Amino acid sequence: MLNDLRFRLRALFRRNTVETELDDELRFHFEHEVEKYTQSGMTQKEATRQARLSFGGQEQVKEDCRDAQGTSFIADTLQDIRYAVRQLTDNPVFAAVIVLTLALSIGANSAIFSVIDSVLLKSLPYQQPERIARIFLTSADYPKFPLNPFDFRDFRTRSKSFDSLAAFTRGDRQLSGNSGDPEHLNGFRVTSGYFRVLGLHPQLGREFDEKAEIPGNELQVILSDRLWRTQFGAATDILGRKITLNSQPYTVVGVMPPGTRHPGNEYHSVSYGDDVDLWSPFTFEGNPAQRGSHYIEGIGRLKDGVTPEQAQSEMSSLMVQIAREHGNTSTNWNVLVNPLYVEVVGSSRRILLVLLGAVGMVLLIACANAANLLLARAAARQREIAVRLALGASRSRLIRQLLTESLLIALLSGGLGLAMAVGGVKALVSLLPANFPRVHEIHVSTPVFLFTFLISALTGILFGLVPAIQASRIDPKQGLHEGGRSATGSGRSSRLRNVLVVSEVSLACVLLVGAGLMLRSLLNLLHLDPGFQHQHVLTANVSLPSANYKKSADVARFYGRLDSDLRSIPGVESAGIGSDLPWTGYDENSSFYIEGKQPAPHEEFHGRYHVATPDYFRALGIPLVRGRFFTSSDNNDAHNVIIINQALATLYWPKEDAVGKRMTFDDKPTEKEWYTVVGVVGDVKDKPNSPSAEPAFWWAALQQLFPFKDMSLVVRANSSPELLGDAVRQVVRRIDPSLAVADVQLMDQIADASVATPRFAFVLVGLFAALAILLAAIGTYGVIAYSVSQRTPEFGLRMALGAQRTDVLRLVVRQAAKVVFTGTAIGVILALIMGRVLTSLIYDVSPADPLTFTAVGLGVFTIAVFACYIPAQKATKTDPMIALRAE
Amino acid sequence: MHFYKSWSTTFVEAKGEPLETQRIDLPQGTLDLLILRTLSLGRQHGWAISERVQQISSDVLKIQQGSLYPALHRLERRGWIKASWGTSDNNRRAKYYELTRSGHKQLEVETDSWKKLTAAITQILESV
Repeated sequence: MLNDLRFRLRALFRRNTVETELDDELRFHFEHEVEKYTQSGMTQKEATRQARLSFGGQEQVKEDCRDAQGTSFIADTLQDIRYAVRQLTDNPVFAAVIVLTLALSIGANSAIFSVIDSVLLKSLPYQQPERIARIFLTSADYPKFPLNPFDFRDFRTRSKSFDSLAAFTRGDRQLSGNSGDPEHLNGFRVTSGYFRVLGLHPQLGREFDEKAEIPGNELQVILSDRLWRTQFGAATDILGRKITLNSQPYTVVGVMPPGTRHPGNEYHSVSYGDDVDLWSPFTFEGNPAQRGSHYIEGIGRLKDGVTPEQAQSEMSSLMVQIAREHGNTSTNWNVLVNPLYVEVVGSSRRILLVLLGAVGMVLLIACANAANLLLARAAARQREIAVRLALGASRSRLIRQLLTESLLIALLSGGLGLAMAVGGVKALVSLLPANFPRVHEIHVSTPVFLFTFLISALTGILFGLVPAIQASRIDPKQGLHEGGRSATGSGRSSRLRNVLVVSEVSLACVLLVGAGLMLRSLLNLLHLDPGFQHQHVLTANVSLPSANYKKSADVARFYGRLDSDLRSIPGVESAGIGSDLPWTGYDENSSFYIEGKQPAPHEEFHGRYHVATPDYFRALGIPLVRGRFFTSSDNNDAHNVIIINQALATLYWPKEDAVGKRMTFDDKPTEKEWYTVVGVVGDVKDKPNSPSAEPAFWWAALQQLFPFKDMSLVVRANSSPELLGDAVRQVVRRIDPSLAVADVQLMDQIADASVATPRFAFVLVGLFAALAILLAAIGTYGVIAYSVSQRTPEFGLRMALGAQRTDVLRLVVRQAAKVVFTGTAIGVILALIMGRVLTSLIYDVSPADPLTFTAVGLGVFTIAVFACYIPAQKATKTDPMIALRAE
Repeated sequence: MHFYKSWSTTFVEAKGEPLETQRIDLPQGTLDLLILRTLSLGRQHGWAISERVQQISSDVLKIQQGSLYPALHRLERRGWIKASWGTSDNNRRAKYYELTRSGHKQLEVETDSWKKLTAAITQILESV
């Protein structure tokens, strides 16, 4: 074995020596043989002849020796590559067209695959991430509902499906007392064992133990690596130090390592992987018998071998048990146990697979295109191939050589494509919505290189094999003949070319239909009335630390002061403060009572609650439907008032005027505790494409039922809202210098982010479709141009016999139209079948949208026929004399 | 695994037969066996091997001389023979081949199986 290898390597790398030795050896033999014959009395000439005869063909023997040395495969390949390079450099235009189109398609595939690899294929950065699951309550109305803390504690003690269970909820903190401005930090309150579930360990210190869950022990904190480095200079003696958060002293008990990724959450959501800078203990406060309040989210590490389904059924039966213990016999809540992977990337899976499908189609089209070009060139090389066959080249050898050529083209394109993909991935990431899962992890990695190499090689075989087989099928006699006299093109190869064009056109059709549907969907989304006006609006968030704002009156005073200061900023048209902003995922709900109405049995009146200052609605451009907005006299001294949205009004007062009706939040209200509806405002949906708005109501900011310490500022500017950021910050600082102003952004940006995903899908599919139709047009053009050039003598003959130019034109266009029409028809049918996968990705458009289909069908047909028009025109310019003389 | 890529280019001619069509293809590996056997008598160069085969076979078999060399190179690659350059009787540089240890073994194996094969075929031809 080793000897074999050594022998082959020597033969390969010491080629010259080995060849010389072979020459010497054979010459030695030959001379001896001649000598033998001359000694037996022959003349020198006779002896030489005799020796030649008994030896056989010298070159043939050498070739056989090379074969025997086991290097012919590599040597032949090297020769084939040299030949292929020569072929390509001899036809630079052909080479450029074919390499560029393939490189674009391969590059696009690699770029999309990079995204898929980073988002879908790479495992999440936790220990055994497949065992981590998220836990929610679920019902028909609320698919993912947070848990009640005491319910969670019962789950934790009773469940046998999990190695460890933890809960977490958003708990942002303001860091002050350090150098610089107060900083708002994303934080979470977590139960003990939260990091154990994720399989992460602090790089310094420890995570919270169960003692930290006891009320009173909440002033502890674990820092992120980023915070530790930027704010505390990576001090190794940080453990035990007290830092000021929300104006209270927190003791640092741990520091997480870099790369600690947030697993993503639903309620006050921070997306997966976004920065979370601190974690503090979740404490179980309040009365364990009261279980109406749901705001924590569960996460657990399943025991080895337990499936999420098993855990889910165990947890659901525990839920029934717990509800019964608390006197609730008819709970309609189930428990949802969802693998973390599904939670993180589930929503993006389909769109990525659709993109991969789209880009795969582009590659197929590019392959068909390349095959077509190769076929046309094989026809031009017919004579060369016929000569080689006639000289004794074997068919398989010829196919191998032609395949080497196409593989070379493909690998060249692959290399170029990879370079394009590196740039393309950057562009893709910038196009992706900021909250797209794992968007920051997307990069070109080793699997992408392998993928590119693999598809390049496959592509080369795919587009090279058929033309190679086709080319080698030439009968040498026929080939030499046909090369000399041009006939009408052999039937088989022209049929093959037509099939390729039909498939190109039909695939391009499918892609264009996809792009069309996505465009319509995007336009629908953009033209939706959001229920508010996002232009010229600047927003920001402020949180009041409980330590300094203990009483409701303190909070109300802050609202009042900030509200009037904001309105007095020059350039502000109107300004207000509310509990939240549209489209940011706010979801706080409460039940209530309505004067003179009874809810259905087992149900309650409920709605989403907010607070607002008088100009909040005006600043956001939310229209008043009936009644009035709040005024500054709706304060603590005045009668309690409330504003509701239209959804709530139609839900509970379907046939009446809601204005003037009263509602309360107390089961035995005093007169003071009744709230009178003074206004009805327009609906704002949760997301631009939500089917309907949630029923909602607003308390007046100066009459808050309980203090809202997290607030959103809304400032509508006369002209340029982006210039008002500093003024807003100054206003807040003047009132309380310890407050951080967070998330200063334009409402435009929030609105923009809400259509980022559909826009991303449309832009990409649109790009792919444009590339596809361009390729299909090139393909169609190429085939018709080739067929016209083949039929020039025929046209010349026809015209000599009296055909008009228009007759020839009609002849060519009819031939082309037939092929293109077949392609379009097949494409439309394919698109109808495949449209269903888009259903969940498009908004308010049927996957069989007649407008899109008609437009695409007509468009593709026109473009493709137009691509034929140029060669057809050329056909009509045939000079009969020249054409016939050429015969 | 053995793989004789071009064994079919190996022909023998039965002496005295006038026409090329009378050539019989040597069974696969037969030429190798003849070369190994010849070399078992001692170190030889290519021309001498071809002469020797003819002498031993009393000129009944005649190897197409050209086909000898690919076979030699193949055997060398397999490691059954090894080549070295030396000087011939009349002082010329020649490439000499000799059997290696595994070549000796191979000769035994092939001789043995050849004998079994011919014996079996003879038996069939005589009994039917």
